[in-house]
Amino acid sequence: MLKKAYDWIDERLNVTPLWRDVADHDVPPHVNPAIKMSAFIYCFGGLTFLVITTQILSGMFLAMYYTPDINNAWYSVKYIDDQVLLGQVVRGMHFWGASLVIVMMFLHMLRVFFTGAYKKPREMNWVVGVLIFFVVLAFGFTGYLLPWDQKAYWATSVGAQIAGSIPWIGPWIQTLLLGGHYVGALTLSRFFAIHVFFLPAALLVLLALHFIMIRTQHISGPL
Amino acid sequence: MAEGERIPGTPRYRHSLQVHSGFEPFFPNFLLKEWIVGAVFLFAFALWIVFNPVDLGPKANPDDTTFIPIPDWYFLFLYQILKYYPGSQIVVGVVLVPLIGTLLLLFTPWLDVSTERHPYKRPIATAVMVLVTFLVIWLTNEARVQHLAETGQLSSNANLPQLKPVSASQIKFSDTNMPGYKLFESTCATCHGSKGEGHIGPPIYAIGHFWNEQQLKDFVENPSGGMPPKGGLPSDKQVDQVVAWLVKQSHSGGGY
Repeated sequence: MLKKAYDWIDERLNVTPLWRDVADHDVPPHVNPAIKMSAFIYCFGGLTFLVITTQILSGMFLAMYYTPDINNAWYSVKYIDDQVLLGQVVRGMHFWGASLVIVMMFLHMLRVFFTGAYKKPREMNWVVGVLIFFVVLAFGFTGYLLPWDQKAYWATSVGAQIAGSIPWIGPWIQTLLLGGHYVGALTLSRFFAIHVFFLPAALLVLLALHFIMIRTQHISGPL
Repeated sequence: MAEGERIPGTPRYRHSLQVHSGFEPFFPNFLLKEWIVGAVFLFAFALWIVFNPVDLGPKANPDDTTFIPIPDWYFLFLYQILKYYPGSQIVVGVVLVPLIGTLLLLFTPWLDVSTERHPYKRPIATAVMVLVTFLVIWLTNEARVQHLAETGQLSSNANLPQLKPVSASQIKFSDTNMPGYKLFESTCATCHGSKGEGHIGPPIYAIGHFWNEQQLKDFVENPSGGMPPKGGLPSDKQVDQVVAWLVKQSHSGGGY
C-alpha cells in the first residue's frame, strides 16, 4: 500500500534521486567519532542544527500563548511560566537554547577555521555560515525584548542608543529599530515580527544553502 | 569491502573478517550514530533546563531609570569594547571595530589563501584566531565582572551570612523594648522586612547568630550590595542602638 503510494508519487515527481543522494553518500572515517573519538568536533555543526530545530519547535509553542503588546506581553510570559502545562520547560528550552546555539555555532566555526575547511572550493559556504551567525545574533537581540521585563526593556534601550550613536546614519537606524524615539509599543511589535517572521525566513534560506552546498561540494578531506 | 557497501547487508559476525575502509553510508549507519550523539546532547540539555528555571524579572517600567541594564552575554564583548572608546572616540567602538571584525570574518577565505589546511602549517591565521578567541572571552568576562561590581554583587558579598528564607510569621524577635527595635522598625524594615525576613535586602532575622557586635557595626557603617551607609540612619549613636538590639537576635527563627 505504502509502496504503491510511493511509486505513484515517484513516477510523477522522480523523488528517489533526491533522498538517495542524502541517504547513500559515504561518510568518510575522519569525521566518524565511532572510529576516532576526536572526530566528535565534526558533530558541532549538526548539533547546532539540532538546537536550532528545538528553538523553532519551542518558539512555535511559545507563540501560542505569547501576546506581542506592551500591556499583555509580560503577563502572557508570566502565564506561560505559572499556568501553562510544561510552560516553564518550553520557555526554559527557548531561553537556554538561544545561548546554546551561540556556543555550538562558535565551536563549529572554530572547528571549520582550524581544520581549514573554508578553503577552495568552499569559500561561499563559509560566507553563508558567517551570515547565519549574524542572523542568529539578530534573533538573540530581538528575542531579548519580548518578555518585556525590566532587563529586556533597558537592554534594548541601551542597544538602540548605541545604534543611534553611529555617525550620520545612527539616528535613522535607531528610528528604524524602535519605530520611534523610545522603546515602546511599536518596538515590541516590530521586534516580534522580525523575530518570528523575517529572521526565520532568512535563517531557513541560509541553512538550505549551507546544506545544499555541503551536498554538492562534499565535506573537506582529512587534514 | 568496497567503499559504500552497506554494512547492514553483512551479518555482524562477519564484520571482523572484512577490511573496513572506514567509509559508511549516511543512512542508516552514520545517521544512527549521529542520533546517539544528539540524544545524549538533548538529554544533558533537558537536565540543564529542568535544574535552571528561567526567572522573569519585574515588568518593564520606563520611569525607573535606576535599573542597570546589561546585554545578553554573547553581546558583552562588543559592549565592553565600547567602554574603551568614550566620548568622541565612540565611532571606533560602535563602527570601526565591529566593521573590521565583520569584514575579517566574512573574507577569511580570501585572506588565508594558502592551500595548507593544517593549523600548524599556517601559523599566522591560527595565531590570529587563537588571539581573537581569547580576547573575546576575556572581554566577555571583564564586562561581566564590571557589571557585578556596578550592581553590588561582587564576591565580597559572598562572605555575608546567607540566612535561610522563612516566612515572617515564623520569626520571633526578643528584647523588643530596646530603642534599637524602634529604629529597626522605622528604618531597616523598609528593605529587610518588618521581621527581618528579607525583601529588597537579604534576610537578617537571626543575624546575631553569625556576627558579633563589632562585625555588625563594621558592616552597617560601610556596607555593600546597595545598602546605604549606616543603613540610612542619621547618627552613629543610632547605629550603635540598632546593632545592640540586632546582635541579640540570634535564635529568632529558621532553626538558628
